[in-house]
Amino acid sequence: MEPLKLKVSYAPFVRSKDSIESVMYNVALALLPATALSVYYFGIPALLVTLTAIAASIAFEWMTDRIRRKPDSCFDGSAVVTGLLLALNVPSGLPLWMVVLGAFVAIVVTKHLFGGLGFNIFNPALVARVFLLISFPVAMTSWPVPFAVDMQTAASPLGILKTDGLSALQGFSYMDALLGKTGGSLGETSALALLIGAAWLFYKRYITLTIPLTFIAVTAVFTGIFYLIDPSTYATPLFHILTGGLILGAFFMATDMVTSPMSMRGQLVFAGGCGILTAVIRLWGGYPEGVSFAILIMNSLVPLLDRWDLNDIKAKKQQSLETA
Amino acid sequence: MKTFTVGGIHPPEHKLTASKAIEAMPIPAEIAVSMNQHLGKPAKPVVKVGDEVKKGQLIGEADGFISANVHAGTSGKVKAVKSAPHPGGNYSMTVIITTDGKDEWLEGCNTPAIDPTSLSKEEILRKIKDAGVVGMGGAGFPTSVKLSPPKDKPVDTIILNGAECEPFLTADHRLMLESPEGIVKGLLIITSLFEGKAKPFIGVESNKPDAVLALQKAAAGKGIEIVTLETKYPQGAEKQLINAITGRTIEEGQLPFDKGCLVQNIGTALAVYEAVCLNRPLVERIVTVSGMEIKSAKNIKAVIGTRFSDIAAFAGSMSEKTNQVITGGPMMGRSQFTLDVPVTKTTSGILFINNTMLTGSRERTCIRCGKCTSGCPQSLEPWLLATEAEFRRLDDAETYGLMNCTECGSCSYQCPSGRELVHWIKYAKALRNNRRQRKTA
Amino acid sequence: MPAHSLRLRTGTLPRYRPPEPDDASTGIPVCRLYYKPMVNEAFIPAVLSLGTLALALGVIIYFVSRKFHVAEDPMVTIINGVLPGVNCGACGYPSCNQFAEELVRTRDTSMTCPVGGSDLAAKLGDSLGIEMAEPKPVVCAVLCQGSDNVAKPSAEYVGIQDCWAATQAFAGPKLCRHSCIGLGSCIAWCDFNAMRIENGLIVIDSDLCTGCGACIPACPTGVLVMQDKKADRIFIACNSHDRGADTKRACDAGCIACQKCVKECPEQAIVIEDFVARIIQEKCTSCGKCIEVCPTKVNCIVRLNDTVKSKQAS
Repeated sequence: MEPLKLKVSYAPFVRSKDSIESVMYNVALALLPATALSVYYFGIPALLVTLTAIAASIAFEWMTDRIRRKPDSCFDGSAVVTGLLLALNVPSGLPLWMVVLGAFVAIVVTKHLFGGLGFNIFNPALVARVFLLISFPVAMTSWPVPFAVDMQTAASPLGILKTDGLSALQGFSYMDALLGKTGGSLGETSALALLIGAAWLFYKRYITLTIPLTFIAVTAVFTGIFYLIDPSTYATPLFHILTGGLILGAFFMATDMVTSPMSMRGQLVFAGGCGILTAVIRLWGGYPEGVSFAILIMNSLVPLLDRWDLNDIKAKKQQSLETA
Repeated sequence: MKTFTVGGIHPPEHKLTASKAIEAMPIPAEIAVSMNQHLGKPAKPVVKVGDEVKKGQLIGEADGFISANVHAGTSGKVKAVKSAPHPGGNYSMTVIITTDGKDEWLEGCNTPAIDPTSLSKEEILRKIKDAGVVGMGGAGFPTSVKLSPPKDKPVDTIILNGAECEPFLTADHRLMLESPEGIVKGLLIITSLFEGKAKPFIGVESNKPDAVLALQKAAAGKGIEIVTLETKYPQGAEKQLINAITGRTIEEGQLPFDKGCLVQNIGTALAVYEAVCLNRPLVERIVTVSGMEIKSAKNIKAVIGTRFSDIAAFAGSMSEKTNQVITGGPMMGRSQFTLDVPVTKTTSGILFINNTMLTGSRERTCIRCGKCTSGCPQSLEPWLLATEAEFRRLDDAETYGLMNCTECGSCSYQCPSGRELVHWIKYAKALRNNRRQRKTA
Repeated sequence: MPAHSLRLRTGTLPRYRPPEPDDASTGIPVCRLYYKPMVNEAFIPAVLSLGTLALALGVIIYFVSRKFHVAEDPMVTIINGVLPGVNCGACGYPSCNQFAEELVRTRDTSMTCPVGGSDLAAKLGDSLGIEMAEPKPVVCAVLCQGSDNVAKPSAEYVGIQDCWAATQAFAGPKLCRHSCIGLGSCIAWCDFNAMRIENGLIVIDSDLCTGCGACIPACPTGVLVMQDKKADRIFIACNSHDRGADTKRACDAGCIACQKCVKECPEQAIVIEDFVARIIQEKCTSCGKCIEVCPTKVNCIVRLNDTVKSKQAS
């Protein structure tokens, strides 16, 4: 017979170089500037939190793969991204066992109990953050001050705004917020570092700008309206954009492929909803920060938004059958 | 630059043979002419073992309305009439001819050029039908059938497809460079069938500017519009080409003439010219022999029935790393299980590649990135169709446009999870057809 | 268990409160969760409101079910209880329930459930007071012995592990295009766990197979057929309609249509149809002479012993 051993598969025989790994590791790479900056600001504790979150995520991923008898997915990058996002969402002084618990909630509860990568309804890192926030409110809102000497903590600008009102924010500088020299979680401090990462993802075409821009614009418009109505009570839209987790959430969490709608229309509604909910929670809610809750609430609507498109296809098909 | 509106992808072009002139391939010792080289019913073999045949002699007769004649590619003796491997992946009835090397034309074939205007419309159509001309782009729809659309569907646009959007393939490109006059004459014959009511276009992708120039020169003053199209896959798919040139959209279940269009391949136009003016049946075609694993990639003019093994030997040998041999382009072609398969009327290319993506479990879960949806030129949701196929929800799949899929492969190409989206869709179609057949049986 | 953790479960939401003055000693505002003890205020209204709601809904359901009551023949329920309830469709009805309804309506004694066999026929007859026809016990047979070391491979298949998917790419991973593809598409259709893949070939457990026939259309190459159950069943396990020489090249167990068994059979029970021999089951006496003369390397004629349950046995 033939000396040559041929293999048969189905077309197409050329594939793009994209893979889950390339998507995930590029997201991780894009988060690197923010991570590095936070380590620079907050020192060794920040590094420890980051490493613990990533290691714990990979470990839980490995364990659940064993239990679920699935092929190894611990190095496909999704666990790394989840761990990194979790680390960027918590204060640097958080006890490490809490970080591990957060990784457990993210990987096991939010992701694998729902069927693993691709089937989770909610963003794992965000669920973990919210879980930690509700369970350990004190630890989760003790934001260390950048370059702190002895674990000195301070409120984040949004926290100050919530508790003490706008007047307490006299010393606030937009430049500090852009560079990240304010209190806050690891990742929500420096808007600039995050934007550099987001630019990289956009350049590599792993994210589109529909969700982030809509999200930020809607938040800005909504808070802007109230700023115009009463500038003495409400902060400027720019303040809302630069503080808190809006940039991180809009570019890295709301754009998560698994938990965002597929069509442009769905994405617009999704991001718009995120924006409005964020603004509403920030202005009148119980928590100073609303991005996590906003994204999670809108995550739950994603299947519905996708169904919207499918129903349209169905209706179109019905129509063409009737006319035919 | 014109292009289709929805979806599309940009795979690397790999046009290795774009600058290689067409070489005539010497006739091998044995050719295997398949009876199934077109859409529709296979032809009926009309020769017996031991019969002497001449080049251009009818050896398979069209069996039914949608079917096509098959002719001997060279002179020789019929060695066997049996079922043999076919590049479509299966087996088909095949006439195997031992060639005598004389390559003698049958009398009345290959005559000096005659003036097509002296022929009536019916005569032209009969000549095209007798010559066994089929669509040479890949589908192989009998051309005479396609050229006689129903009376109530007036055709106002005739498009020659020179897009050649598949990576690697350059057969049409070389043909446009080397025989633009024949192509233009063929197009004019086709146009004459519609009594001046249809406007002829030739669509060429922008990565072939030399072909555009050659065609423009040949078509000067003949009322043919040469349209340069954006280089984007699948520009050369019938529905996308119509959309790019006329802006019309072919809906599900519609055929091009429902929207007044008729699309023919470049090669088909030349075959029409040769059939009508030179009395040459379709017995040869241009084949791109390419891929990373063949020593000398080239464009060849091969007799229909030439086996892939002979072609591989002609183009130098293939390297040991070759693990797939593909007919057609890498996006929509088929991989072969043997090199005994012959060139057919629709074989536009033969690729020898080392596919490194072939691992047992490359399919992973969908991460809902939406690339398949954004790349789909038919605005479908491939991920959904694939999922419905996986769980055999065929009715649902059909509701979401299963039959509207043209299997261009844009979705599978882009999927980061390595999901075999087109294969799942094809699978659903197979199950659906099987169920239909059982219901009607 | 501390008291506040109990209260947590009553569903009061954590509420954000401004920091109390003593907390502010460090000068740092902090968030605090704040629960209000409200057992009595919460417990009694909850029980009352939910209880009332349940009562009201119960009353509504009662009237609705009276209003929309559908009279059903109690016999259908009885028959339904006797039937296997697997909804395999072998009887020709989409579900067991529809079979039961039809049976009760028509009392057609020729209606049979192949899955339940003669036992079930007797039970159905008893319930309805009629003599039911006894279904002929059938079993699925594989007309292929082309396991990995018997059939020659054509090319390695990489892709969706399903027979139908494989046939879309090419004729199949075995050189013989009529063979069992060996990826087990039929297994998913078997409700009775009677099929498995061994060495790239489907194997049927004839004790578990009920003869429902659901697998037959699931096979793209058509190697599955239904045969009558027999204590000693002989059949030609080959589906290759290729000429003898082609078959021989492709498989060691292929029927090459040599006619030897046809000539040997004392009952003239073997016929050659389209290059493959077939044993006419009604005529076959299971003498086994054909097996002795078969010249193929791996005998293409197979002898199987089915457990045949009859009325007497049960």
